[in-house]
Amino acid sequence: MSVVGQSVRPIDWESKTAGTALYTADRSPEGTLVAKVLRSPHPHARITRLDVAAARRVPGVRAVITAADFPDGALYEHSGEPFSDRPPLAVDKVLYVGHEVAAVAAETEAAAQEALRRIKVRYRRLPAVFTTRAALAPRAPRLHDRASGSNVAVETQDQWGDVVAAQARSVLCVSGTYSYPRVSHACMEPNSTIAWWHDDRLEMWTSSQAPHFVVHELSQLFGLRLDQVVCRDVAVGGSFGSKSKISEHEALAAALSMQCGRPVQLVLTRAEEFAFTKPRHGFTTTLHAHVDETGRLCHVEADVEVDNGAYNHYGPSVMRAGIKHLGSMYRPDAVRWDARLVDTNLVPGGQFRGYGQPQTAVALEASMDELAEQLGRDPLQFRIDNASRPDSQALSGSKIGSNRLAECLRRVGDMIDWDERRSDDRKWRGVGVAAGMHASGSYAYPGGNVSAAGVEVRTDGRVVVRFGGADAGTGQRTILGQVAAEVLDVPFEAVDVIMADWDETPPDMGAWSSRGTHMGAHAVRKAASSMAQRLLEIAAEKFGSDEVELHAGGVEGAGNRVEIGDLVTLDPDAVDGSLRIDEEYLEERMEPYWTGIERPNISATYAFAAHAIAVEVDPETGMIRVVDYAAAHDVGRAINPGMVEGQVVGGALQGLGAALGECLVHEEGRAVNPSYLHYTLPRATTVGDVRVELVEGPEPAGPFDAKSVGECAIIAPAPALLNAVYDATGIRFRSLPLTPDVVLTAIRAAEGKQPRRHHLARRPSRWQIELFRRAYPWGIHRVLHRFGTRWARSVPDREVERLELPGTVDLAVAALGESGAVVAGGSSDLVVQQDQGLVRPRVIVSTGAITSMRKVEETGDCWRIGAAVTLSELGAWAATGAPLLREVVATIASGQIREVATVGGNLGQAKRCWFFRNGFDCYKRGGTTCPCYAVDGDHRLHHAVIGAHRCQAVAPSDLATAFDALDAVVVVAGPGGTRRVDIQGLYSGPGELDLSEQELIEAVEIPKRTLDRAQAFVKVQQWDGDFALVSVAAVADVSADGEWQSARFVFGGLAAKPWHARALGDDVRGTRPTPERVGELLEKELEWEAHPLAGNGWKVDAAIGLAAKATRKIQGGSGE
Amino acid sequence: MERSRPAAPPRHAPRRLEVDGTQVDIEAQAHRPLLDVLREAGHTAPKSACGRGECGACTVLVGDRAVMSCVVLSGTVSGPVTTAAGLGEAGRDLREAFADHTAFQCGFCTPGQVMRAEAVLRSSLDHTREELACALAGNICRCTGYRQIVDAVDAVAVSRKRQRDKR
Repeated sequence: MSVVGQSVRPIDWESKTAGTALYTADRSPEGTLVAKVLRSPHPHARITRLDVAAARRVPGVRAVITAADFPDGALYEHSGEPFSDRPPLAVDKVLYVGHEVAAVAAETEAAAQEALRRIKVRYRRLPAVFTTRAALAPRAPRLHDRASGSNVAVETQDQWGDVVAAQARSVLCVSGTYSYPRVSHACMEPNSTIAWWHDDRLEMWTSSQAPHFVVHELSQLFGLRLDQVVCRDVAVGGSFGSKSKISEHEALAAALSMQCGRPVQLVLTRAEEFAFTKPRHGFTTTLHAHVDETGRLCHVEADVEVDNGAYNHYGPSVMRAGIKHLGSMYRPDAVRWDARLVDTNLVPGGQFRGYGQPQTAVALEASMDELAEQLGRDPLQFRIDNASRPDSQALSGSKIGSNRLAECLRRVGDMIDWDERRSDDRKWRGVGVAAGMHASGSYAYPGGNVSAAGVEVRTDGRVVVRFGGADAGTGQRTILGQVAAEVLDVPFEAVDVIMADWDETPPDMGAWSSRGTHMGAHAVRKAASSMAQRLLEIAAEKFGSDEVELHAGGVEGAGNRVEIGDLVTLDPDAVDGSLRIDEEYLEERMEPYWTGIERPNISATYAFAAHAIAVEVDPETGMIRVVDYAAAHDVGRAINPGMVEGQVVGGALQGLGAALGECLVHEEGRAVNPSYLHYTLPRATTVGDVRVELVEGPEPAGPFDAKSVGECAIIAPAPALLNAVYDATGIRFRSLPLTPDVVLTAIRAAEGKQPRRHHLARRPSRWQIELFRRAYPWGIHRVLHRFGTRWARSVPDREVERLELPGTVDLAVAALGESGAVVAGGSSDLVVQQDQGLVRPRVIVSTGAITSMRKVEETGDCWRIGAAVTLSELGAWAATGAPLLREVVATIASGQIREVATVGGNLGQAKRCWFFRNGFDCYKRGGTTCPCYAVDGDHRLHHAVIGAHRCQAVAPSDLATAFDALDAVVVVAGPGGTRRVDIQGLYSGPGELDLSEQELIEAVEIPKRTLDRAQAFVKVQQWDGDFALVSVAAVADVSADGEWQSARFVFGGLAAKPWHARALGDDVRGTRPTPERVGELLEKELEWEAHPLAGNGWKVDAAIGLAAKATRKIQGGSGE
Repeated sequence: MERSRPAAPPRHAPRRLEVDGTQVDIEAQAHRPLLDVLREAGHTAPKSACGRGECGACTVLVGDRAVMSCVVLSGTVSGPVTTAAGLGEAGRDLREAFADHTAFQCGFCTPGQVMRAEAVLRSSLDHTREELACALAGNICRCTGYRQIVDAVDAVAVSRKRQRDKR
């Protein structure tokens, strides 16, 4: 029977696909309390008063904790002395926005929230630093009392090899500074923990990938024995490293439960997940890469600056891993580095798949490309020639056994048609490659070279694997089962795997540093082998023959067969019908970091990979399209090829995410984009296909020849993309991510285009605004932010009382007369706004039951679209005869949202400005005393370039853009009957309807004549379903001979309302315009109309590009 | 790719919802998001991952249509609700395809992926691969990189089409 090497179905497939697998939040014990955390609103402040007495008195509150509830000087162990620096709750000072100050547990969420509001904290603000540069400036405010006397937490200057000799061999050097942003794991399951202190034990159900670190840290914090803390076996919804060590909420839930003796559940919200869990460390890496006269990379010099955030956590080893990467994959004679881990007032960095290596790999792999180019060499072949060799020791110390890096590079070249694509000199198309490697586990902490497992056989013939790590989604549970099935020669279906729960399993350090397969499978193999031996011995005795072998769930020999279950009770060690053997596996090839070995070999095997990406860059919008993706991986031999492939594709997309759009944006230290809407991660359409080949072969040190794969897959994607974009554009980008603004701005600069003049001196209407903008950095922002926001208004704190479903428009209008009533179409924005604290209705008046508003009908020379028609219904109607609307609808949100979102709701939705939506007390949320955070903040993507005043937000509705282009009229119903307004008249501001409280949108009327005209819609969006960064809806009356009788170009994403390019329409009338001509005319108009902010001028270029595309579409082309 | 119009919601909020063949009382909860109501009633297959209609983990069927239950008010629900746990034999082929194509890893988004895919397949079996990816683009998965999900759904479309043509 061969189970290893087969793509068996995941062991938990039945429950995972039916949704019956139990994750932490699915299984609260009776009487579980709800916990909430009070977090610092300030990036750096002294706590001058903290009083929780009133919170304790809130009815239903059962526990309230502050730092005072932990022993004096309590710290997480984390990286160990001298790096341990973090207490479980803020002591006297807060160091970042979101820093945990107190936590409460209560019978209901409402009571918990009320308790948070009753906690009195007084802060004295301190100056803060948000970048490593600011943190290193002389006289910068300091976060800690570090030995360095500065914000440098850890500094290392060192080298491997003979630097002088290596440098002497250099014949060519390339240099560059590369930055990799803070990115979020964004696991689908929000971090969730249930802690229950009872019977002198702490019982935990928690989303962790390594219970070891939860058990050890909690026992250390609370002075418990290790066996007084237990993590139960729960399903875990993704981790990517984030849950490989203890997380803050785990300790808080435990402390709350220990105070009240009740089970306490703490689940982070999605916004908390993005803003307050520990992201990938941002790196700034300056690299000088040298080659010798043979074309070999001979010397690497690196300056590495790591943004630590507010505490060390595992920053020191993340930095070390990043450096180590520079001396591992190729064969330099020397590597010299100067690296520092720098404290900033941002949420601390954590552990993220790849662990420092993706960050430095960007620098190394881009440098390899630059070296190849300067040498006139092919970058793929250059890497093959430089690749490290099998059975060698890398400069960093890694003793590499099997190594198929060169083969991976060759394979990936074949897969992507490298030579053909490289010789394709069509501009804007390119192909790039990058390589990656990763260890299979590391001896980074005492015990890191040991793993343990139990294997049990029961009388019913079932085999149970007992393993003390946790499977956060990697498939470790399945492959451990495969290994046991293989060794014992039983069907895979006969195996169960129990994990995480140390009452049931021997302890294990869990899954981190890609050790799950190597260490776990070795341990299970060893335990299963011992079990096999035992079963054979028992059977040999029973049969009276030594000629016995395991076969298909039994033992056979001497013409006899016995099922393994029947052998169990023959063993005197069997207990309750089960025989269990535990074994410990010690990996002797690993060498520790901390015993003074100069360059330790920290792992037993090393995995390698090459990824190649083909891209097309749109020079009109700056959008990058990945047209092909190939990955080849040396994994030794795959235990489950399907799952290995899954790790590769998943790693590829996650790595690509950081290259294409992912980046945690902060303003005043506060997260600006803590939502899936604003944090641009890959969707199903981001890459059409990722083709994977496994370059398999022996690896004697691996279990069944297996090496690691999970982390290796995320090293190469980002640099491969950077190299492909260079090939396509001739522009070497060195900072991630390559959002369209970055790309388009660089393309225009490379073309020599001068910054656009907007004739402000001759536009008096813009003087006041220009003055205001210029003054913002000189005090206005600071005063409004610091003091003005104290008067920020907030919405009344109240619960929704009821839902009204009136059957007619009149009844709806009447229902809106009640105080606190709001109208809702599909409620898909209303619920979001409630969550964001923007509205707190008392009564929701749904239009869903008003039949007259739910249809599309012909009325004379118009089509009348009821406002309660869903987008999905509108799309279906538009499929015949309204191409513009069909195209628009297809770009809005998701299929599910289109099923419920309505035409009226789309027109009436609030602006999507990321400051406004994500809790900033901005001008629109807080009122006139508050700043617009977009003026000085990150406004590249989501803010206006035309006509903005105090608020820079843009109109969010794509339908509004389209309806405006189609000359539509909106029917508004109110107490006095109906009235009609055009789209411009519908709005008073960005995403703000100019309606009275009792009015609602009843219908939209589109003249039939405009629907008959040529029309096109084009949109720049970061992901399918995103709001428009820039869009255009164009409608033209084109005569049979191609002459435009009229044209209407309306743009989204540029202004507070859909913006109509009137002059363009006038200028093209009576002509046969070329796309270029339309672009020129629009450019001229925008020079006089636009007033971009410092960083969003690219939108003008994108609008011009889109207008050209729309023109081509109108003229019958594809737009490209 | 879109379905024809669904039944209009009732004029008065319903008192009970049919969920996976059982009844859930929503009398005092018509104004609350369907997801909260479902999970509190013990239907935990739909997952809460964003609460804002941005990720699809809470996707359920209302009739044959897939909706994100976190942004739908329970009182506006106009038909029987099916969660991944209640899909039963109707979705067995789809669930098996997810397993055979390794179309899930951590599994947290999977009940939502399965329900969206089921709705897409009920609306039509004639999709190109690109159209399928587009139709599934509202469901975020952080583990798989999506390819195997599209592979799985594509394979089911082909096999269901074959069965349909046989009939």
